[in-house]
Amino acid sequence: MALALTGVALSALSPSSVAQQSAKVPPDPPPTPKQVERGKQSFAIHCSHCHGMNMVSAGDVTYDLRQFPHDQRERFFESVTNGRNNRMPPWGDVLSQDEIADIWAYVLTGGKR
Amino acid sequence: MKRILMAAAIAAVLPFAAQAQTDQQLVKGASDTKDVLNYGMGYNLERYSPLTQINKENAKKLVPVWNYSYDDNRSEESQPLVYQGVIYVTTNSATMAIDAKTGRQIWKTKVEYPPETPRIVCCGIINRGAALYDGKVFRTTLDANVIALDAKTGKEVWKQNAINFKDGYSMTVAPLIADGVVITGISGAEYGTRLFIDGWDAATGKHLWRTYTVPQKGEPGGDTWPGDTAQHGGGSTWITGSFDPELHTVYWGIGNPGPFNAAVRKGDNLYTDCVLALDPKTGKIKWYYQFSPNDPFDYDSVAEMVLADIKVKGKPTKVVMDANRNGFFYVLDRTNGKLLAANAYVNVNWAKGIDMKTGRPIETDVIAKARAGEKVDLWPSILGGKNWEPIAFDPKRGLAFANTLNMGMPYKAIPADYKAGEMYLGMDLTQGWIWPKDKNGKDAPRGYLKAIDPLTGKAKWQAGSDMPRFSGVLATAGGVVFSGRLTGEFEAFDSDTGKRLWSFKTGSGIEGQPITWEQNGVQYVAVSSGIGGVYSLFSGDERLKDIPAGGSLWVFAVQK
Repeated sequence: MALALTGVALSALSPSSVAQQSAKVPPDPPPTPKQVERGKQSFAIHCSHCHGMNMVSAGDVTYDLRQFPHDQRERFFESVTNGRNNRMPPWGDVLSQDEIADIWAYVLTGGKR
Repeated sequence: MKRILMAAAIAAVLPFAAQAQTDQQLVKGASDTKDVLNYGMGYNLERYSPLTQINKENAKKLVPVWNYSYDDNRSEESQPLVYQGVIYVTTNSATMAIDAKTGRQIWKTKVEYPPETPRIVCCGIINRGAALYDGKVFRTTLDANVIALDAKTGKEVWKQNAINFKDGYSMTVAPLIADGVVITGISGAEYGTRLFIDGWDAATGKHLWRTYTVPQKGEPGGDTWPGDTAQHGGGSTWITGSFDPELHTVYWGIGNPGPFNAAVRKGDNLYTDCVLALDPKTGKIKWYYQFSPNDPFDYDSVAEMVLADIKVKGKPTKVVMDANRNGFFYVLDRTNGKLLAANAYVNVNWAKGIDMKTGRPIETDVIAKARAGEKVDLWPSILGGKNWEPIAFDPKRGLAFANTLNMGMPYKAIPADYKAGEMYLGMDLTQGWIWPKDKNGKDAPRGYLKAIDPLTGKAKWQAGSDMPRFSGVLATAGGVVFSGRLTGEFEAFDSDTGKRLWSFKTGSGIEGQPITWEQNGVQYVAVSSGIGGVYSLFSGDERLKDIPAGGSLWVFAVQK
């Protein structure tokens, strides 16, 4: 009995559910071409004035999103939703999680599309 | 005994005079070589110094005197001011007073703004400088506040909010003090805002007047906007105006209309891309001249409107001149706005010239196609023939020195929907730039520091650079022109020939505005180093990866 309860308690604290509580990350289907195109235009309007046109940001000035690890989706959602390091502004009150997912789909292209 | 008493008497008087910059001092700023009291080195914005101690022969012996760290890694575009041996300079996040001789910090007052602020700052997390008056230092902030600090202590005297920044309003501009009024502009034409110029009481911060640069229906010029498009018409005002105290007129450059997509707003779209002549006490518009009617190309005329007295057709004339974003160098009569000259100073393909009778551009099919929604190759690009980086004018040589851009861009208008706080452009931002090539197909210089004859637009000499220069220019009577490169070199050129006389490599790219002054018999030159502005944000130039950020102030003098 005690072991089963412990098992339930442990799974409730698994990393993925903790992450879901902090940034409400939507489920993770592969991006569609339409999503990538929406993300590209959304990136142009919201992000390019700091992160560069077509994600090309070669210098020290702003994070180069072409280098962003493609397996750190939660980190991306967290940074965009809540801001980071007192430099990256928060967007959680302006962009929905679906809109951030569109931009993430574009980031996954490395700016190559 | 008498001499000691005299000295004591003077010393007793000095502290009272020490911090109280007066109207008269600001008016004489351009010839006050011991100080730098004005943005642009004088109310005329000529950025010209009468000092001759640094000259063509000894400029090669310039050495650093001291360096001061801003503890800031954004673009450093500020122009420092100097008053009685104290330098006043700004960054996006602080205002500082520094001992001009030793480089030691006297005080530093931080500026805090909400973390969401960079969402609505289009073109660099910056500040362009302060203003001095009556013992106070005035500056603006990115979240649209105007602040007055005590010049001695840095303590806040008053703070006024111009408008809630969240819908896209931001301030980077150095204020202008004219006739005792603190005058500020504002940014945000990319965000579907409707912009303005404000006048504030210097002593109390009381708001005195606001002049909108885009009129409503029923107001003069209101019929140049269809429907309610004026509500999102832009008309930014983020470069400090010039002031003619005799004519009692302030000249302010006005920025682009919004959205970029011109089909949305058929009509001339006054007063976007204009110069306005204003009364500083009331903000009332005396006259205007429009450089680019119904502009699709972000050809901001928000720029330094330089005042000079030059001979036009043999007659001494009071003029205002502008190396316009649209690629033409304009000279107007500043008493009445009459167009005197307008000539291309860079490669231009959207207009054949400017009609001298009507003052309007003689447009080509490039702009017609662009308005109709077709994709065109545009010269100059939306960054213009020259961007924000200010020119200098040498009144003795009659030459304007400008950091010009040599780049085009593929332009296509797309549909735009207005959403508060978001960019409202209606232009495809994914098409990149057209970089110049020489006749062998190799990369040509993307920018030239040019010595331009204002009445013809022709360059007497030019100094090219791989990446364009985005730094201000300084000209001196000693025959030396100073400017800085994005790769970090601060350079001196012979004003007459363009020969490079000296260069010093600073730690980051230079986007600052150089100044010069004389203290205890020595002429100093100062400039900020610190990359992070428009070219590093938008160009996609991979060479930028080898230019580190890091802001600091450098001061130089000729080695004895």
